[in-house]
Amino acid sequence: MTAAAEDRSLKGAVDVLRRNNVTVSGNPSGPVVMFAHGFGCSQETWNLVAPRFEADHCVVVFDHVGSGRSDWSMYDRGKYSALDGYARDVEEILATLEAEDVVFVGHSVSAMIGVLAADLNPGRYRGLVLVSPSPRYINDDGYVGGFEPADIDALLDSLDANYLGWSRQTAPMIMGTPERPMLEERLTDGFCSVDPEIARHFARVTFTSDNRRDLESVRVPTLVLQCREDAIAPMDVGRYVHAAIPGSRFEILETTGHVPILSAPDDVALHLRRFLS
Amino acid sequence: MSVPAVDGWFRLAPCGLIATADDSTILEANDTFLAWSGYDRAGLLGRPLVALLDPGSRLFFETRHRQVLHLRGAVHEVALTIRRADGAELPVLLNAVRDSDGVVRFAIFNATDRVRYERDLLAARRAAEQSEQRVRVLQEVSTMFGVSATDAELAQSFADVARDAFSARETAVLLTRDDGQLQLTGGSNPLEGKVAPVRELRQTAEVTVVHDDDTEYSELSAAMRDEGIGSLSVTPLIADGERLGVLVCFFAGHAEVDDHFLDLQQALGRQASQTLVRVRLQRRLALLALHDQLTGVANRQLLQVSLDDALTLAATSLEPLAVLFLDVDDFKGINDAFGHAAGDSVLVELASRLRGGVRAGDIVGRMGGDEFVALCPGADPSAAETIAQRILEVCREPIAVADGVVTASVSVGISLFQPGSDPQPTAQHLLVRADVAMYDAKRAGKDRAQLSTP
Repeated sequence: MTAAAEDRSLKGAVDVLRRNNVTVSGNPSGPVVMFAHGFGCSQETWNLVAPRFEADHCVVVFDHVGSGRSDWSMYDRGKYSALDGYARDVEEILATLEAEDVVFVGHSVSAMIGVLAADLNPGRYRGLVLVSPSPRYINDDGYVGGFEPADIDALLDSLDANYLGWSRQTAPMIMGTPERPMLEERLTDGFCSVDPEIARHFARVTFTSDNRRDLESVRVPTLVLQCREDAIAPMDVGRYVHAAIPGSRFEILETTGHVPILSAPDDVALHLRRFLS
Repeated sequence: MSVPAVDGWFRLAPCGLIATADDSTILEANDTFLAWSGYDRAGLLGRPLVALLDPGSRLFFETRHRQVLHLRGAVHEVALTIRRADGAELPVLLNAVRDSDGVVRFAIFNATDRVRYERDLLAARRAAEQSEQRVRVLQEVSTMFGVSATDAELAQSFADVARDAFSARETAVLLTRDDGQLQLTGGSNPLEGKVAPVRELRQTAEVTVVHDDDTEYSELSAAMRDEGIGSLSVTPLIADGERLGVLVCFFAGHAEVDDHFLDLQQALGRQASQTLVRVRLQRRLALLALHDQLTGVANRQLLQVSLDDALTLAATSLEPLAVLFLDVDDFKGINDAFGHAAGDSVLVELASRLRGGVRAGDIVGRMGGDEFVALCPGADPSAAETIAQRILEVCREPIAVADGVVTASVSVGISLFQPGSDPQPTAQHLLVRADVAMYDAKRAGKDRAQLSTP
């Protein structure tokens, strides 16, 4: 990113950067790597991976609207009722930063958000890294996503059970500051904080999404990183993504679970560095 | 009394205790947990904890709590559902801490009763929220609209309320034009020009939902897929059997069509229709109150307001303003010869000819009786003279009435305000001067125009 672009972004387009709590670090003249978090957390989930690229890259991290320290008042249920709303935000952030030749690294649902963003403006990207991606979580004819529609309802029940006390109506009463409800619903921790209503909506949108058809239109070099025994995005789903994206690479990480960026940051960073060079 | 052995505290603690490796493999579990879950020790150790969770809990735990555990080192009061060995559900609350080696220790509490109670509570709250939303939405489309609201403003407001209420990506309000066609009046239509209008949908009598994978309207569904619209809903706006238009909601994903959705769409459509009818009626009444009921031209009140406005405009724009005062010649004679009904129709016809005789933008009004006034902004003396001559001409044409043909004429008095050379007159002053000039025209022989001398 040029100094002029940085200057412009400070003046003209603060809104987008503030809306998404965008943090730019590392080498401003280095190639741009953007890290995007998945459902359930915020940019902090990249804490063990992103800083390793600051020496030679311009590192961009951000929070999706409704997550972390983004501007929650910008949460527009209509816009974010499909993943393309989030993809448009990614494009706006990169356009504001005047970032070109970007490598987009997306975890979980953000992998698909990256696919959609690259479809909006393929020329902006040098590569896509999809960490634990799933284009569709619900099983379909001839496709095993791993879940049934009833499971997604159960997830929403699970969210309800966890956020019972924190509905829009009761939170301000409990915290005793009804005039600043948005602030109080974040509770105290900032990162990984949730607004129950937004979390519920984001969960529904994420886990009922079907972006299988978008995979074949990817024209950007793509790396798929897959864990063993991922209960959310199983191995076969990762292979499906790899097979559907023309010319993509597929790497299996030596870790289990859905969050290799925290459980195996060394491994993720290694593959990422190889891909970047 | 002796202190219980520490081993007993672990095995027989009044809560389930388990430890897992970083990859969620169960390393140890106490007797309490084994008893609650119904697993034996050998069957449990070495299995991943997530395999014990029901799918909803697994989704939530793996996508959220695993990240929080890593970043914060602990999670508190997490509500999950464990699948017991016999397949039954065991709702639990758990705390967990993760140490630097990645070992996670869980304390698990049976929450069966609490969860049942909370579910009832939640269901009650959801119902309350839905009915609160219904009331709020209906209020939003029916209040705050004064007489001045245009159809476009109303339509935009309906579109905004619906977009918010249904979390739609876009909404469109299409209102029926005089020729019966629907026209986009508020909101936006992402499918405009992308697909031919579907007649059945535009004329639907019920709330109708179309998904992008429906086969019934294949062209529409294809266009929806191209535009990234998962579903759309069409709600008719009908009041007293009259088709006012439709409300269309465009959804990014597949819309969840349940009873609450349909009920709210229906109620919103009904309320919006009634509001539209009410505001249109008020607007019509307001119009009537400012117009002459016989001839339809401006009445004295509206003329007064318009003259004030025209004077202000003339003063600020430095453009001249002409006021023409017209009186029908021998109107009493017409009434006497043909009757009052014929007299009325002569007035109606002359008013219509006056409107045709002035320029676009000029205002014609009836002062009362057989007196009319025309306000002509921007008209200098020669333009005013031209207008007056045209009026004289059109008024001379014979007028057909019930019992024959009337030939009428008018006398016209003209007063002028020319900013820059004239002092600023009052509205009253301009009218009086035009009136005096009109009498001069009468005295000079009628059927002519007379310019006022300042």
